[in-house]
This record gives sequence, structure tokens and C-alpha cells, in this order.
Amino acid sequence: MMRRRTFGLAALGAVAALALGACSSSGSGSGSSTSSPTSSTGAVAFNAGITSVVNPSTKTGGTLTFDWRSAPDSFDPGNTYYASDWDFARLYSTALMTYKNCPGACGKTLIPALATAPGTVSNNGLTWTYHIKSGYKFQDGTPVTSQDVKYAVERTFDRGVLTNGPSYFQVLLGGNAASYPGPYKDRSKNLMGLTAIDTPDASTIVFHLKAPFSDFDYVAAIPQTAPIPPDKDTGTSYQTHIMSTGPYEFQSYQLNKSAVLVPNPQWKASLDPSATQLASKIVVNMTMNPNDVDNRLLAGDAQIDFAGTGVQAAARAKILSNPSLKAQSDDPLTGFGWFFYIDSQVAPFTNVACRRAVEYATNHLNMQNAYGGPVAGGQIGTTVMPPTISGYTSFDLYEAASKPQGDAAKAKQELQACNQPSGFSTGIAYRSDRPTETQGAQALQQALSAVGIKTTLHGYPTATYYTNFAGVPKYMSSHNIGIAFGGWGPDWPDGYGFLDELTNGNTIVPAGNTNIGMLNDPVVNNLFTKAAGITNATERNAIWGQIDHQVMSDAVIVPIVYAKALIYRPASLTNVYFSQGYSLNNYAVSGVTGG
Amino acid sequence: MINFIIRRLIGTVFLLIVVSLVTFAIFFLIPRLAGQNTYQLAAQYVGRNPTRQAVLQVEQQLGLADPLYLQYGRFLRGIVLGAHYRSGPSVTYCPPPCFGYSFRSQLPVWPQMMSDVPVTLSLAIGASVLWLIGGVSIGVLSALRKGTLFDRFSMGIALAGVSLPIFFTGLIALELFSYKWPIFPNVQFVPFTQNPVEWARNLILPWITLAFLYAALYARLTRAGMLETMSEDYIRTARAKGLPERKVVAKHGLRAALTPIVTIFGMDLGLLLGGAIITEVTFSLHGLGFFTVQAVNNQDLPEILGVTMLAAFFIVIANLVVDILYAVLDPRVRY
Amino acid sequence: MPDTLLEVEDLRIHFPTQDGLVKSVDGVSFSLERGRTLGIVGESGSGKSVTSLGIMGLHGGSARISGHIRLDGEDLVAASATRVRELRGDKMAMIFQDPLSSLHPYFTVGSQIIEAYRIHNDVSKNAARKHAIDLLGRVGIPQPSVRVDDHPHQFSGGMRQRAMIAMALSCDPELLIADEPTTALDVTVQAQILDLISDLQSEFGSAVIMITHDLGVVAELSDDILVMYAGRVVEYGSAAQIFGRPSHPYTWGLLSSMPRLDRERTSRLVPIPGTPPSLIRVPAGCPFHPRCRYGHLNGGRSETEVPQLRETEDTGHLVACHLTAAERAKQWGLLSAGNVPDHDKEAVPQGGVET
Repeated sequence: MMRRRTFGLAALGAVAALALGACSSSGSGSGSSTSSPTSSTGAVAFNAGITSVVNPSTKTGGTLTFDWRSAPDSFDPGNTYYASDWDFARLYSTALMTYKNCPGACGKTLIPALATAPGTVSNNGLTWTYHIKSGYKFQDGTPVTSQDVKYAVERTFDRGVLTNGPSYFQVLLGGNAASYPGPYKDRSKNLMGLTAIDTPDASTIVFHLKAPFSDFDYVAAIPQTAPIPPDKDTGTSYQTHIMSTGPYEFQSYQLNKSAVLVPNPQWKASLDPSATQLASKIVVNMTMNPNDVDNRLLAGDAQIDFAGTGVQAAARAKILSNPSLKAQSDDPLTGFGWFFYIDSQVAPFTNVACRRAVEYATNHLNMQNAYGGPVAGGQIGTTVMPPTISGYTSFDLYEAASKPQGDAAKAKQELQACNQPSGFSTGIAYRSDRPTETQGAQALQQALSAVGIKTTLHGYPTATYYTNFAGVPKYMSSHNIGIAFGGWGPDWPDGYGFLDELTNGNTIVPAGNTNIGMLNDPVVNNLFTKAAGITNATERNAIWGQIDHQVMSDAVIVPIVYAKALIYRPASLTNVYFSQGYSLNNYAVSGVTGG
Repeated sequence: MINFIIRRLIGTVFLLIVVSLVTFAIFFLIPRLAGQNTYQLAAQYVGRNPTRQAVLQVEQQLGLADPLYLQYGRFLRGIVLGAHYRSGPSVTYCPPPCFGYSFRSQLPVWPQMMSDVPVTLSLAIGASVLWLIGGVSIGVLSALRKGTLFDRFSMGIALAGVSLPIFFTGLIALELFSYKWPIFPNVQFVPFTQNPVEWARNLILPWITLAFLYAALYARLTRAGMLETMSEDYIRTARAKGLPERKVVAKHGLRAALTPIVTIFGMDLGLLLGGAIITEVTFSLHGLGFFTVQAVNNQDLPEILGVTMLAAFFIVIANLVVDILYAVLDPRVRY
Repeated sequence: MPDTLLEVEDLRIHFPTQDGLVKSVDGVSFSLERGRTLGIVGESGSGKSVTSLGIMGLHGGSARISGHIRLDGEDLVAASATRVRELRGDKMAMIFQDPLSSLHPYFTVGSQIIEAYRIHNDVSKNAARKHAIDLLGRVGIPQPSVRVDDHPHQFSGGMRQRAMIAMALSCDPELLIADEPTTALDVTVQAQILDLISDLQSEFGSAVIMITHDLGVVAELSDDILVMYAGRVVEYGSAAQIFGRPSHPYTWGLLSSMPRLDRERTSRLVPIPGTPPSLIRVPAGCPFHPRCRYGHLNGGRSETEVPQLRETEDTGHLVACHLTAAERAKQWGLLSAGNVPDHDKEAVPQGGVET
């Protein structure tokens, strides 16, 4: 799931709490385990929300308040790429598929939402068919048809108008998808011009793919498949006049400031398993000061931090040091991984041994501290995929967990093997407006110089990091920058979502590149192709593990931490739990009590 | 006088054009000097991992690949004549002044800015009334009681006020009066038209924080001005006529001392109307300053251009008003 | 004397400063009859302005004033500040040196005159305005009903000073103090202003104190002349006495340093050597002695003994000097004949020649 870490203003408050890391209840710095004794459902205890539903309630009424340090890229379900938006969108839109509303790993299970069942695959994996439940209506009473779903997907092809969302449909669909300009430009065939999607009747929709893609149900869970009535689509301004099919509809929306949602009378709980209608009003306050958000949560003036990336350092200190506050917080693995990449096109990293030297030389403990320690930063990573991703297998090729301070001797051996016995020079790119990456880069610089690798630090702004610098392979090679910091959150919680854009040789692009290691390993590429054809989830997931192993062996990625976030749940928030589906608390089932 | 105003207004137009040109240049030319091409620029405004086609579509929609003079011409034409924008199924018309559409949200910039103006206006005007009254009165009293404990004490506080950055005083104010002792909990902007009492209550902390800085400045300025004025010959003449000292200070002294203060006030207010950035960010007030920070963080050219020109406009108008005001106040300066 | 309007007795005005006590006025006494003009002359720092400001009560709280200032029998030094303020502008008025800086630039000339009038007289604005126009006319400003609404900067220098005079006379004061009224004006205008003052004096019947460093001005107007040096009176007498038979070396110095029509153009001016003394550390004995060419004739008395103000052989002509009358007559004779004294003192300490 794409989780755009919108730092911006939050960067002001994000101070690495080194002391905190050392003082956390888990003791030593190599990371705490994520599981806690599974308390009986409902009990309020630290980390209870990771595996159980805390404060379960069917009580309706009240105002549920979301506070947000940022604002949505768009509430338009077809034009958003934030995980928090996708989680929240289930309150006012319904995609074909959704994630099951249950805590922990259970939350990764795909279940049909608008559809009656997961897609039926045919034609050697090239055709996916869904049926739409009857009885679904828009907030104005108009029934939902398959054409509304097709139209919703079609409009995302006009990237000039809807710029933000993911590109899966454009990449995966066959037919005329490659040249289809979107229904705003192509008014032919009654706005149904995309030949890759058929709507044989009002409740059936058929997708024709270019090549088999076994993860397509995940793609169907993206809000881009939420139906939109063509006659109500106003393009760029649809985000302010959304036709809801979910339990809530928009009453008002002031761009970047606040939104108010009220119950949608047309919604039927029996039809929609993806959300509940408990609160009688939902308020979203946007672009707030992050410390303000934390304080309001602690004071009970708000129930949820929309961003879901955890509290700031000040609140963290308060919460961890106060047992009753701590019992109201969870520190889950967020499905996000922080790494740095080693660009295999930049000499001498063309030789895998030189890359392995860096893997061994890295002081993982210092890196973990730079990122905030075990509670705020995360668990020391040994694999590309974090443990919450389907397909994760545990292995540690470079002793990151067993020798967290690094192994200088082995590093030097690898340097010998790549003919650089006395080390070499290279550059490190990082985002200078992020304190974590700044400190991480400095820690790395120290660790590498201990084995003779001299590095110069290059800081860049986040806004243009991928488009102009680290994501431009030519820039990296011409400036001799062999290492770049970054992070990744998958668009959906399996190995494809996590690994493809990072390690598939076919995803390398000249600008905005995310395969910064420039890995073009045929073994890896073939495994991806193979997995795309395997419909059995267990078999498929095994392959992700193999890819991870190969990538680590190729040493183009050095994992830093599996990110964690300290999330606070006020007592007034009901049905709160962490779901690995979006790697966020489940916003769609939240309610509020006086408590 | 009329000629003077007309000449100045014409000059204002030219100045705003220059400001927009410079902003335009900075936005486009500097990254180009660093080697950025239009594809990379367009890629900033698309979602993650876009297809090449997606980036090109955005490039085309935003007109980024067009030569700069064309883009600039479009921008100017929009302000004067309005612009048509492909917003989806239809073409929307953005009436003049049209500052274009946000690269991020694809929504028109002008209405967004206008919705932020009341916040900045509330903040600026409220604070300015406070600092003017507070700062000037303390300055006058200090000048009249020069050398006394009151004078030393107030000038000491003034020094602190001038030296302490706003984000420091603002955060301390929030911590003490909003979080620790909930005298002003939940600072959030409430429009005046909605609830005047709440409007004021929520703005008190930001007003005081902002006013503290300026009041300190104005206290010192007023004190200096008063001291200078009170040593003028015409003050002696006023006393020689037998005027009570109260009147000498108030009518003869203050009036003359305040003239430069008024002009500085006009400039300060003009600057603030463009957005009290730090105060707004500290207190999460969505005014023009906040808008500016977001626009810059998002590299959103139309928003940056819009807010820059609006701020420049306020400053230029403030300057004009101040110059006219000076002529009104000081008969020696007449046009 | 029955017609004495102003009587100053042993007036001392001292200012405590960080550097010490500045004795600006140190024992000044004189009197002034109604309708007469007294000219006070002296260098900068001699205390003449300080004296006049002291009479008006315009010194701030930091000044230490002792002695007596009796205006029509009422002691202003002992009076309350409120009482003095009542008299200020009403019974005694003052005009200042620079009319441009002394008039408030923001208010019209008319409004400033009206203000001066209405402080002491309870009249309507209209009546006051009529009075102001009338006054402007009497001081010789053309088109007074138009110019009454002009601002000071719209007047020429001479006109401004006339306006200032009009303002001072608005309440028909019995005492008018003019502090260097013509110094900032050019010569032709000077004459006009002086004539004006003289005319108005006869018309209004006020006593005038004319403060100046310009002996020519003094000669024009004054009935009596007071010569001040270092905060003290060194000579006092009628104009005829001072000009005819000056008796103090300082006065001689003032007179000799003026160019005269009845001398050769090539004959040199004889300046007073040295600089005015520090008013904090006034020279012991005769304050003028460091700069005096004749001090050595007194057998050391000049350095130790303060000369008292004593009457000379002319009645009403007072001088404070140790020289004998005979010596004085002799030296003045020499000087007025154009003989420059043989030697000038060298290496004169503070209060003497610049080193």
C-alpha cells in the first residue's frame, strides 16, 4: 500500500528520541516483538489493538473526529494514492473488493465488497469477471450498475485531469488501454470506449488483461473501482461533490481545511461488509499542527489521527512514561520498510562483493537509533519485506540481527573479493528535510569509513528526490552516488506490492525510478513473471520469499528497520484495532462513545 | 494628489508584473540550471510510479512543455481575461483574476486564496490593533518617564520581545495557555460571521504572540520618536504659550512623533496581510501564510505565483496608503 | 521703583549632570520697568537664554532654581508650577530664535495663535479667529485672512517670525522676551523685525527683554543693557553708558570685535582670545580672568577674588571688575583709539585660549 509519508510540517516535530529507544519496555535495542499476550477482546492494554478489537461497541451516535496534519491528495476515490485515504474511502465509496474487517494478519484477507465474490479467472488468466451485488444505490437513490464501475476505471486514464492515483489499470489492461485517452476526451460509445473492460449486463463487469496477473483481486480493491455515475462526474471538482455508496456522504468539504460527513440513508449494512455506520457525524480536520493533533487526542477532543504514522516525540514521551496512557496505545509494525539502496550501476558497486561489503559494514544498531529506536523507529530489518507482508520469510544473510553492530572483518573480506582492499569513494544521497535520513546517512558514513569506504553526503529535498535525483539513474552515475536512502510501503500487503517496483528489472525508468538498486536480475524478473501466473495464493506467496532472498543476495538493498509507529487510541474511540490490510487502524468500523 | 495616486497605481501594475516574472523565473529557470527537464518537472505532480504516458499527459495538461514565454503569457492573460480549463467532462471558465489551477488539486487558486484571506485579515488586524495601542502607549510613557524604573523595565521587556522568535513565544503560549492550563483550549479558527465571541477567543493567543513582537518594536520606536519630538523647539513654544503639559504631550508631541510610526505601521500591516507565516503555522491557522508554506512544499507554481502576487499587491497598496497618509498627516509633505 | 515690572534677584539656575553641577546662571540680578527694553548680551553659554527660560518657568524638573523672580511683585520661583503656567503666554510671553522649528509644522499658523489666545481667554473659536487675523495684520502680514490658514512652511522666514510675534502678543503680555529673534533672519528682514518689535512695544506698552549676541541689535532697541559672562552679570547700564563708556574688559572685547563703519577697513578686528569657560568648573576668582588682557594689573586678585557688581561713577552703571576706575578709563582709551594691546597671554588654561 502506498503510504506517502507526508512529512512537511511534521518534520519540525520529528526528533529522534534516542533516549526513548533505550528506555522502552522491550529492553535491548534490537527491537521488540510485535505480539503481546492476546488479551481478551476488548481489554485495554499496550499493543492490544494489534491482535484484538479494543473497546468493541455497537453504540451509535456521537461525532467521530479525525485530526490530520496534512490533507488528502484528493477524496475522489479515483484520484488518491494515500493508504489513509484508501482506508477512509470505504466510508463513502465501495470498491469491488476490500479487506476483511478484523485485526492483525486477518485484515489482509481480501473479501468482496461491491462484488458478489472474488474475480473469476478464465482464458489462461487473461480475463477476470466480477458480478455486482444488486441493491447498491448512490446517495441520491440511483442504482449502481457495472457501467458505473467501468466508467470509474476509465476516467483514471486521463492523467491530465486525475493526476494522483496508481497506474495499475493502464499497465495491466489489454484492449486499447495503451492508447485510450479517457472518457473526457473519448466520448464515443456512450463513454464506454475502453475495450479492455466489458459490461455484458448491468451487474457484470469483465476485465481483459494484457498478461496474466494473479494479484488482480488486490487491484480490484483499489478505490479506483468504486462506481461513479457519469452524469455526476465533474472531473477535477468531483472531489467536492462525491456520490457516495458507503455508510456516509459528504455534507461539506472545505478544501484543505475540514470535511463533515453524515450518514447516507441509502446505505444498507446487509449489503456492505466493508464498513459500519455508527457515529452520527464524522468530522475531518485537516492541515493541523502535528503536536496539536497529539494533544487533542490525549485530551479526547479527537478520536483518530488520520495520518496513522504515530505520535510526535513529545506525546510519545508522555505516553510511554504513563502506564494508563501506554495501555491506550499500540506500537505495530506498519508494513513500511526503511532502507538504503546500493546502485549496482555505479562503480565499484557493479561488483556484488563491494555491495556485500556495505551490507556487512553497516552498523544496524546505530541506524535503528537514527530512525528513532525500537519504539518510534522500528525493528532491525534483515529482509526487504517486513514481517507483516504476505510472503515474508525470515532470513538474515548478513548477520544484521545477530551482529547488529556490523562485521568489519567480513566487510573487509568482501572488499578483497571485489578488488578494493583499501576501500573506495562514493556518494550517499538522502532527503535532507528528514531528520531520520540525515542522521542515518551520518551513521552510515561513520560505519563505512571504518572499513575504508569514504563517502560524501548529498542531501536533497523530498519533493524532487525521486524525480530529479535519486530516481534518475543518469544523475546517480554521473555524480558517483552509489547509495541512496529511501523507504517503501506497498500498495497492497503482499510480495508483489512490496517488491515489484523496487526490484523488478522491468520497472527501471529514467526519472522517478524506484528500483534505485538498478537491479535487472533475470532470476528475479523471471520469478515475477512466474508468480503473475500462479493463482494459488500460498504457492504465489512462496515465490515472493524467493525473490526477497535473491534480492538480498544481490545486495542492492540494505534494510534498516521494519517501521513501527506508536499509535494512540483515546478511550472514546470504539472498535479500534490495527489491520495489516492497509497497515493502519481500521477507520471504516470506528465509532465514538462519551468515554 | 489625484495625479500622484494614478501614477503610483500604474507603477504598482508594473511592479506586480516584475514580481510575477521573477517568481516565474525562479520556479522554472533555477531547476533547469540544475539540469531538470520538463518531464521530471511534470513527474512531481503525478502519483507514485506513473507510466510514461501519465507523466506526458500531466505535462500537457499543465502546459509545462510549452516555451516559457507562452506559459507566462497564458498566466498574464488569465489574470486579465480569465482562462478556460479542461476539468474533465467539460471546460470550466475561471473568471478574472484567474491565477490558474493548482498543480496538485486541479482546483482554481483564486477562490482558495480568497477563503484564506479572512483568517490572515483577522490575525493581522487584531494583532495590529493590540500592538499599536500597547506598543505606542508604553513607548510614550517610557519616553515621558525616561530613566525611571518603568522605563528601564518596559524597554527590557521590549528587547526580549524583539529578540524572541515568534515560534518560540507561540509554542510557549500554546504549551502554557492551551495545553497545560486550558484557558484557550483547541485553538481553531472560527469565522467572525459565524460566532464573533469564539472568533476572538480563538485568536487571542496568536494575537498576543504576534503583537508581542511588534509591540516591543513599536514601544522602542515610539519612545525614541517621542524623545526626539519632545526635544523639538515647537514643544518649548507650546509650553511657552502656557499649555498644560498634558496637552503639550498629546496634541503637540504625540502627533508629530506618531507620523513615522503610522508609516511604519502601514508597511508592517501590508507585509502581514501577505501572510504571517510563522504565527499561522504555529497555531494551525489556515491563512495566506499557511497557504504559502504548503504551496512551496508542494512546488505548486500557480499557488506560489498567486500568493506571491497577492502579498506583493498588499504591500504595494499599503505603501501607497502610507504615502498618502503621510501627506495628510504632515502638511509639509504635499503632492 | 513704582513702575518695576520685573525684578530678578540673585537668580541661580544649576543643572546636575553626570559630569558635575552645571552652573548656567550663578547670581544674576536686574530689574526692568514697564514699557522699557532690556538687552541681554553675551556669548553662547553665558546664561542669557537660561535666564529668560528661567523667568518663563520653562526649565524641567532637573533644574535647581534659587533666588527671586518677581513679576509685578509676585515671586515666580516660589510660585506653584500651575500659577507660573497661568502667567505664561498671558502676562509674559516669549519668542524664539528659529521660527521654522519653533512653530508646530502640522498646525496652521492661525490655529496656533488661536490656541495661544484661548488658553487664557474663554472665547469662541470665531472670536479667537478674528483676533488672530487682526494680529497677523498688525504684525504686517499681507492678506491675513487668507494666510491665517497657511502652515508655517508656507511663510518666508521673516513672515514666520512676525507670526511668532503675533502669537506671543495674542494675550497682550506685559513682558515680552525675545530670544535672539533675528539671528536666523537675513539682515534686511532683521531690521524690519526689530522695527516691528519696537512699534508693537509702544503700541502694547509691554516691557521687552531682547536677548542677543549681536551688539548692533542691542544698540537699536535697548534702553538698558545687561552683559553676561559665565552665568553672571559683568556689566549693566543704559545703552548710552554701555556704548559710551564701557567699563568691563569683556564688553570692550565685544565692542572691539565688531567691525565699525568709522574705522579703516584694513584695521584688524580684535577678538576676545580663548573660549567660553566650562560652567561646571568655573574659573576661580573672576570668571573672565583667563581670557582677560588686564588681569595681571590687579596683583593677583583676579585669580582669587570674585569681583562684585558695583556702581561706577555713573549712576545706574554697574560693573564687576577689579580694575580701578582710572585704569579702566585708560585702557578703554587705548583700545578705542585703535591700539592693540602688546601682549596676549599664551598657554591660557580652561576658559582661555584654545591650545
